[in-house]
Amino acid sequence: MKKYSIGIEGMHCASCASNIERSLKKVPGINNVSISLIFKKGTVEAEDSVSEEQIKQAVAKTGYKISSIKK
Amino acid sequence: MEHENKSHEHHHGISLTDNDSENKDISEIQMWKKALIGSWIFAIPIAILMILDRLFSFNIFMILFENELIMPIVILLLAFPVVFIFGWQTIKSGTRGLMSFYFNMDSLITLGTIIAYITGFLSFFDIVQDYSGVSAMIMAIFITGKYIESKARGRATSEIMKLLELGAKKARILRGKEEIEILIEDLKINDILIIKPGEKIPTDGIVIKGESAVDESMVTGESMPIDKKKGSNVIGATINQDGILYVKATKVGSDTFLAHIIKLVEEAQGTKVPIQKLADKITSIFVPIILTLAFLTFLNWWFFSGDFSKALGIGISVLVIACPCALGLAVPIALTVGSGIGAKNGILIRKGEAIQTMKEIKFIVFDKTGTITKGKPEVTEIYSLVPEKYLLTIAASLEKLSEHPIATAIIKKASLERYKKITGFKILRGRGLEGNIGKTKIVIGNSLLMKERKVALIKIASKIEEFESKGKTTMIVAENGKAIGAIAVADAVKDDSIEAITMLNSQGYKTVMITGDNLLTAEAIAKQVGIREVIANVLPEEKAKKIEELQKQGMVAFIGDGINDAPALKQANVSIAMGSGSDIAIESGDLVLAKSSLMGVVQAINLSKATFSKIKQNLFWAFGYNVVAIPLAVAGVLHPIVAELAMALSSISVVMNANLLRRKRI
Repeated sequence: MKKYSIGIEGMHCASCASNIERSLKKVPGINNVSISLIFKKGTVEAEDSVSEEQIKQAVAKTGYKISSIKK
Repeated sequence: MEHENKSHEHHHGISLTDNDSENKDISEIQMWKKALIGSWIFAIPIAILMILDRLFSFNIFMILFENELIMPIVILLLAFPVVFIFGWQTIKSGTRGLMSFYFNMDSLITLGTIIAYITGFLSFFDIVQDYSGVSAMIMAIFITGKYIESKARGRATSEIMKLLELGAKKARILRGKEEIEILIEDLKINDILIIKPGEKIPTDGIVIKGESAVDESMVTGESMPIDKKKGSNVIGATINQDGILYVKATKVGSDTFLAHIIKLVEEAQGTKVPIQKLADKITSIFVPIILTLAFLTFLNWWFFSGDFSKALGIGISVLVIACPCALGLAVPIALTVGSGIGAKNGILIRKGEAIQTMKEIKFIVFDKTGTITKGKPEVTEIYSLVPEKYLLTIAASLEKLSEHPIATAIIKKASLERYKKITGFKILRGRGLEGNIGKTKIVIGNSLLMKERKVALIKIASKIEEFESKGKTTMIVAENGKAIGAIAVADAVKDDSIEAITMLNSQGYKTVMITGDNLLTAEAIAKQVGIREVIANVLPEEKAKKIEELQKQGMVAFIGDGINDAPALKQANVSIAMGSGSDIAIESGDLVLAKSSLMGVVQAINLSKATFSKIKQNLFWAFGYNVVAIPLAVAGVLHPIVAELAMALSSISVVMNANLLRRKRI
């Protein structure tokens, strides 16, 4: 189990944050997601099988960009 | 948004990216400000033209050129930059949302403004009324709303941002005999720091030379400066007041007290308050529902009124009136302001859930040692049937092997140079110690232990009672099954314990003290501070069970220092962990106090309640707004511009209302 802390660019509204949460939760192996619109950041708890790339892609799919990611 | 996409090197575990999250806030405000100015330069002329035309039927282009097509062309030209240049960010994000089926609020604005803009062209063919001017007004108001909201959000996060910025950037250290200045990242444990008056202490450490007072308010919320001398611990990011201090660094980077506090505050931002569940759920399906609703409204009006233009206008109103932001921000923004105020006062909200539970709390249970009392017991009286020196020697030799605070007190009192050799040493948790010196069997502990070991207490019973009724913990020393003396240890009550408990009593809470001491000792302390109920003779591992029993009668908040009472903190409905000195009981509390004062508990409770009532207010407004405004828009009562204005105000009002929390004195 790994915990990532991510920074996200381009969020303007509450639905943006919930879209990102929704998209991330769809990735198998991601257990817990919380995105803060106010701080433009979030945490993702994922199984070891989940790669950083998958997280980035899930966020990119919703139209936002990850500005930083780390464990 | 023009962000630089920087990647960061991290020397330590704390997320230093936070430093640019503030920059992001500033750049977001700047971005909206530019868009705001730009959009109104074009939107104001549009507004003037439209008002003159609609209200006074005054069309300057008709008068000058006698051509009614010029006005719509001018408006289309003026509206273009507002919607597509200054609103580009929104259009881009909205379109992306529409394409990917991850609809967001920008999608609503994008659809609303683009449809409205297109009517400007269609109107030339008399298909529909011209809404192109309206599209510019919607975008300009939207941008204005976002600007005001981002500013208010910046204010809401200012305390937390200040905390993130608090750490020192540089340190002055002693290398050999030379003073050199280094970057904080290069600082290592055991480096000797030199801190002049007025300077920030770079990291956690211990004073090795010098005397001064240090202002720790920024970290612990403690307003009085704390005196420091050789051997005192200092906290990084606090300010040295009047003397030069030489400090040996004991913690650096992510291990420091400040780094821990920051981590707590950061993590708390991700936690949810249970009451927000419904709001979150609605937020996540909000935009698709509004899209559908707007479309149905349009079809419905078109079908039943036959007026395509009117139906389109009403459809646009529905699109732009609905904003998930008020709902989505209602809870987190209030929580952010609340935890910011908390952080400023040394109160860290770790779990959002706790502030909701707080209002249900009936019992406030305090651990005694280290919570109500200072946790630094001292030997105050000794009664001995043998020479006192002998009693202390054997007691201290045994206690030397224990780490209990009472042991520390006895060892200090005895101040031996050499200790007796102990064999067969055993700690009897919550009761005492035993071991052998040579062939002599020694037992030290409370009356419970003596009873267990069948030690007769007759000769010293009256003394024990005397000590205990004065609120002193009494350790009985027995040698080969015979009591030979008693040592009274007292732990002074913290200065503000009485004030704090009086306030809690008057607020209607049932205050309870839980302790391993016997009833007599415990009641004496409880009486001193005004606590009404005492649960005494409780072994550390039983504390959680006692709380469970209390929970049958009502919700329980437990206040402890995280030492020995982690299970109790976990069992309680709300747990408040008290920091002591530079240690912080991070893992165990829903709320954590950076200062070790009971008034902090009162503040934490008040803050939780105030924050939660703000959250409720915000949810009420956000729900109320949508429940009233959306039907009005569907009913066709609101002009699209009025709808957009109402929408902008709704999210601004939620953020501003949260900011009002900062006026509250806690």
